[in-house]
Amino acid sequence: MPDDDDAKPTESGSSSEAVATDGGETPPAERAPSTTSHGLLGGTLANLLGGDSAFARYARSSTAHAVVLAVLAVYPFVHAFFTNPATFNVVPVLSGAPEYWAETFVAVLPRVETMVAIFYFGLFAASFDFISGYTGYLSFGHAAFYGVGAYGVILVANGKIPLLGSQTPFMVTILVMAIAAAVLAVLLGLVSFRLSGVYFAMITLGFSQILYVLFASWDFVGENPRDGVAVLSHPEGFEIGVPFVDALNLQIGQLQGDSVLYGLDMAKLGFDFLGFIDVTVDLGGTEVSYYMVGLVAVLGYAAMQRIIHSPFGRVMIAIRENEERARAIGYDVYKVKLAAFAMSAFFGAIAGGLFAGFRRSVSPENSLYFLVAGDALLAAVIGGFGTLAGPIFGRLFHISIEEFLSKSGSGGGLLPWLERTLGEGTMTTETVGGVTVGEGVDTFLNGHAELYVGLVFVLFVLYVPNGLLGTIRVRMGGTVAGQTAARIKRWANGAAPTGSKSTGSADAEGDDD
Amino acid sequence: MGEELLRTQGLEKHFGGVTAVDDVDYSLSTGETVALIGPNGAGKTTFFNLLTGSLSPSAGTVEFRDDGEWVDVTGFDTHETAQAGIHRSYQVTNIFPTSTVRENVRVAAQAHGSDTHRFWRHADGFEEYHEETTRILDRVGLGDLADRPAQALSHGEKRHLELAIALAGDPDLLLLDEPAAGVSSESVDEVVDLIRDVAQDHAVLLVEHNMDVVMDLADRITVLHRGALIADGEPEAVRADERVREAYLGGYGSDDDPATADSPTEDAGDGDGDAAATDGGVA
Repeated sequence: MPDDDDAKPTESGSSSEAVATDGGETPPAERAPSTTSHGLLGGTLANLLGGDSAFARYARSSTAHAVVLAVLAVYPFVHAFFTNPATFNVVPVLSGAPEYWAETFVAVLPRVETMVAIFYFGLFAASFDFISGYTGYLSFGHAAFYGVGAYGVILVANGKIPLLGSQTPFMVTILVMAIAAAVLAVLLGLVSFRLSGVYFAMITLGFSQILYVLFASWDFVGENPRDGVAVLSHPEGFEIGVPFVDALNLQIGQLQGDSVLYGLDMAKLGFDFLGFIDVTVDLGGTEVSYYMVGLVAVLGYAAMQRIIHSPFGRVMIAIRENEERARAIGYDVYKVKLAAFAMSAFFGAIAGGLFAGFRRSVSPENSLYFLVAGDALLAAVIGGFGTLAGPIFGRLFHISIEEFLSKSGSGGGLLPWLERTLGEGTMTTETVGGVTVGEGVDTFLNGHAELYVGLVFVLFVLYVPNGLLGTIRVRMGGTVAGQTAARIKRWANGAAPTGSKSTGSADAEGDDD
Repeated sequence: MGEELLRTQGLEKHFGGVTAVDDVDYSLSTGETVALIGPNGAGKTTFFNLLTGSLSPSAGTVEFRDDGEWVDVTGFDTHETAQAGIHRSYQVTNIFPTSTVRENVRVAAQAHGSDTHRFWRHADGFEEYHEETTRILDRVGLGDLADRPAQALSHGEKRHLELAIALAGDPDLLLLDEPAAGVSSESVDEVVDLIRDVAQDHAVLLVEHNMDVVMDLADRITVLHRGALIADGEPEAVRADERVREAYLGGYGSDDDPATADSPTEDAGDGDGDAAATDGGVA
């Protein structure tokens, strides 16, 4: 968000107004709010969004979410488009070096496969933030719930869990494991919530490490529990969709994922006048996984967001703000904390299940280890503690940087990009002490991504304590969705003097992020 | 005065060997505004904490009349006494700092409904809590500041908010722990007016060091000294009481030097007889 956004809130309103007016015609005059000129399309929009009807309010407060969802929906296509050299042949200025531009975008844009990981881990980080950022109880042992989801999926697929055969639908498995994690959370919480502050963090960490050691050494899990376990008896991909209805399921997985080929040719369907619409959508396994995992992650986020804004969520916030007073005004805070912890574990396990379902293997290190919760903490700090959506963007930021800086991002990253861009000549040029540029670049970049991520983390803690989304909220003076809604309302009602009266209520509405 | 609302019998609290509240029999009726006074360390806040359940007594009972029925609230947790209708405010401002003023009161109002578990509905969709919040905020004079974060209020405004939170959920009994603490002398009158207004429809028990406030508001004054109840009666009678003068009002000059008056470690043995003697005091 630009700095002046807050200082001159009407500025953004009037500029979008100007864009809309370009279509220039007289607005419908019968509606009072849109007496200013929004143009025909703008005027209709203004009438639609400016009112106080339930629909208008809902549409306004959902705009920010809709924009994010729309960006996510087209991302695989955007990625494919910009990483294809052919794209740049079309643009005269860039056509001189299409390969170069495509490689640049490969280096900068996260791969679709990476985005899948960001979805499931982002959901986990959001579930961590749900308990830690909203009740103030740092759940350092949150990896336990991620691990329950992840191991649960693999063990069920391998037929190790009684009553759940290896052909149990993935969605059912994930739900069962989420409930199991919630039960586990209640059991751990019964003990842990007797403590607070750093002691709570430590005891939950202790519990998760117990699970870690257990699963790393228990040969019931698999042949070699230390190294983890893979799916053995479930060759086809795990299906996301409506259980028991084949047509409404799609398989996920890098290799096992379904591919979707969907053609829409209006001429063939008999709509000749729409003959110019002839689209073929071709999605590979990774893309299908992107949409299906993304769908579950978004639904999980939406459910948590719903809870945060409910009466129950307000009590969670009250506990974070002042637990003693929350108790004194009549809340049984112990029960509220237990319930919140269980919900958080529920969504954490769903994230773990998606992770295992997509990767088709799990090891103690990447699911139950305390650094997994550490990564969630990192995402929450970068994205904004107590913002729920922030940790998802935090994870995106973290992984994008890591991938950009590490060589292992196959076909991506800064190092291969530099090597290709600078060329052989530059790379072999000697600098100080007989070290070539290439060797220097290699020394600084090869395998040191974690170092730079660590530096970024330190910088965030020092200079962006509110995190990405938290800072944007401070700048906008409220949640992004709420403020977007308020701005849309101001725009729709024009610069009419009555606007100032309605601003107060518009500011208060739409509390989403 | 109305009917009896709260009574304690033989209420005691020991911290190790220290007796903070010593065999207190006490009673309070609806419609009363009672001031609880005593030197520092007399056990006033401990007494409050025993009534609200923040502390559990070493001996004795606390009973509260809820909808005409006597309920033994002795072992109750804080949230249970709050649900029963005993609300308190704090000496040190105890609010939800980053929430808005409105949310501070709204969440307190919500505690007395049965909607907290409705986690699929938006919190702002419950009109009754909003109406109650608006009513309370207007009453305490914070209506115009409703959308401010609570931490942005001035100290005086925070004291009003402190009271507003306690008012939410329409308690039967308000325990106010030094409501005028730290309020500048010009603003004390506002707090006094506010409490007088609130006292019209709630029973109020307040701890206060400012004698002007106490004399201004109280129908009855109760004096605690070293954990024991040494006087209980109308302001004029208490003001004239010899023991009270000795223990409290003139305490700094006479045989009780401030050091011992501050300390609850003093053996409260002699307080026993005093409490028994004044027990039948004007109620």
